[in-house]
Amino acid sequence: MSDISVGAFYNPHLGAELARAEGIDHLAMADPPANGDPWFPQIRERYTLLLHDYLGQLSEPLDERSVQRARSLAQLYRSPWVAEHFQCLHTEDGVYSLNYVFPPLYTEEFLERFIRNARALKARLDQPLVMENIPGFFDVKASQLPEPVWLRRFFEATDVGFLLDLPHVWLEAHYHDRAPERWLAEFPLEHVVELHVAGIEQDADLGGPWIAPAEPSPAMLDFMAHAVSRCPAAKAVTFDAFSPSLTGDVLLRSVERIRRAL
Amino acid sequence: MSDRALQDAVIRALADAPYRASPEWRGRGLADPEQVERYARFLARHFYYERIVGFFKYSRALARVTARWPEAVLKSPSFDALLPTLVLGSRDSARAVAGLVTHYVSSSQPPIPYLSDLLRYEAAMMVAEAGARIWREEGEGSREKDYPATVEGTVLLTLEYDLPAVLPELLKPWTEPPTAPRRATTLLVARSPHGRVAVARGNQAVAAVVELADGKRTLDQLATRAGLDRAAVEETLLGLVDLGAVRFSTGS
Repeated sequence: MSDISVGAFYNPHLGAELARAEGIDHLAMADPPANGDPWFPQIRERYTLLLHDYLGQLSEPLDERSVQRARSLAQLYRSPWVAEHFQCLHTEDGVYSLNYVFPPLYTEEFLERFIRNARALKARLDQPLVMENIPGFFDVKASQLPEPVWLRRFFEATDVGFLLDLPHVWLEAHYHDRAPERWLAEFPLEHVVELHVAGIEQDADLGGPWIAPAEPSPAMLDFMAHAVSRCPAAKAVTFDAFSPSLTGDVLLRSVERIRRAL
Repeated sequence: MSDRALQDAVIRALADAPYRASPEWRGRGLADPEQVERYARFLARHFYYERIVGFFKYSRALARVTARWPEAVLKSPSFDALLPTLVLGSRDSARAVAGLVTHYVSSSQPPIPYLSDLLRYEAAMMVAEAGARIWREEGEGSREKDYPATVEGTVLLTLEYDLPAVLPELLKPWTEPPTAPRRATTLLVARSPHGRVAVARGNQAVAAVVELADGKRTLDQLATRAGLDRAAVEETLLGLVDLGAVRFSTGS
C-alpha cells in the first residue's frame, strides 16, 4: 500500500458528492470558494486542501496584492504547499491574455526572471512553493534550452518543489514523436513533490489529443506508476480535472483507479 | 528585441486573429503557422467556453425548458465564421460571441417572459468583463479626487422585469421555471480594473452620475447638472468607485 496522498480538484458543482465521498485524501483548490458555497465548510474540515490557484505569472514579480492573496488563501486552506505554474500567458501591458496556461520561452532571460521572482515569492510564503510544468503544442524558434534542462536549472537555483504534470509530459512526447518514458527521464524528477494525472481526448481544433475532464486511460495510469517509482520525494498524486462538465462518477472512479495503480 | 517582447508577440498572435494573419507576424517566422492557427482556435473555444458558462449560467439553468445550452454555439458554423476576426478579451469580440448566444437561446421561443431581459443582462456582463486589465499594481496611482469619469464598458440596463428577484431561484432546484415580478428595473453593470464584474441596482442618482461623469466635470459641477445635492452625489460616487463603474482622473 502506497503512503502517497491521492486526491482530486474541488469542483464546486460536485460539492455535495465530495462532502460525503470516501477514498479521497486531498482536494486541490483552483478557485477560492464562492460566497455562499454551502459545502465548503465541510470540505475544509474534512480534507487536506492544496492551494492551486492563479497567483500570478512569475515572468514578472508578484505585486503586494497578489502576495497577500496567496498568503491568505494558503492560510484559509491550511495548505501544505503552494502551487504555481511555469506560465507566461498575458502580455506585459495587460492587453492580451490567453486565459489558459502557456509556457514561457525557454531562454536564459526567462530563466533568470523566473528564478528571481520565485525566490521572492517563496520568501513571502509560510509554506513551500511548488511549480508545475506546462505543455507546449508548438515550438517557438526563439527558445534556447530544452525544457527539462531549463527546469533543472530553475529547481537547482531556487530549491522550489516540482509539481510534475504527467499528461503535459505525455502530450509533448506525443507531439514530438518521442517515447513518453524516455522524455520523462530527462526531467528533474528528484525535485517532484506532487504529480498530476488526467484524462486525454481527441480535440478537433488540435487534430490530436489534449487534456480533458475524463478518466485517465490505462496507459496513462501505467505511465503514472512508472513516474512515481522515479520520484523519491513525491507526496501526492492529484486527478487534474476542473470543469463544469466533470461528473462525480468520473472524478470518484478516477481517484479510485489512481489509488489502485500506485 | 528582448525575450519578453518576443513572448508578447507570440501571446498576441495566439489571441489576435487579424494579427496572426498579418505579414508582421508571419514575417517573423517564429513558429509553424498551421500549428499556431490550430492552437489559437483551441484557445478561442476555451476562452469563450469559460465566459459563456460563467456569464450565461442562468440561461444555462433554463436549458431544461429552452433545450438551448448556451455553450453549444461554440460548435456552430457561426462561431467558426467568427474565428478569423476574434481578438480574445476585446469588447467587440465579446459582443459578437454574446450575440451568437443570445440569438441561439432566444430562437427556441420558450414560455419564459423575462428571457429577453435575462439574455440582455448576461450579454452585458460578458461585454463589460472584456478589455485590458491591470494584472499587477504599479505604485499607488493618482490621489486626485476631483474629476470623476465613467469607466469604459459600464452599462446601465433598463429592464422590464425585476431580474435580481429571480436570479438566485434559477440556480436552485425547480420543477417549473421560477417567475420574475414584472416591474421596471435599472441595473448597473461595471468592471473593476482587475476584471471583476459587479452588478448593482440603479436609481436616479446612479443614472445621472454614470451619464454625466466625463472626467472633466468636478463633483460640484456634476451635482449641479444632475440637480442633486453634493452629499448625495458624493455617496453615490463612492459606491460606483467600489463597483469599478467610476474612476477619478486628474482632469484635462
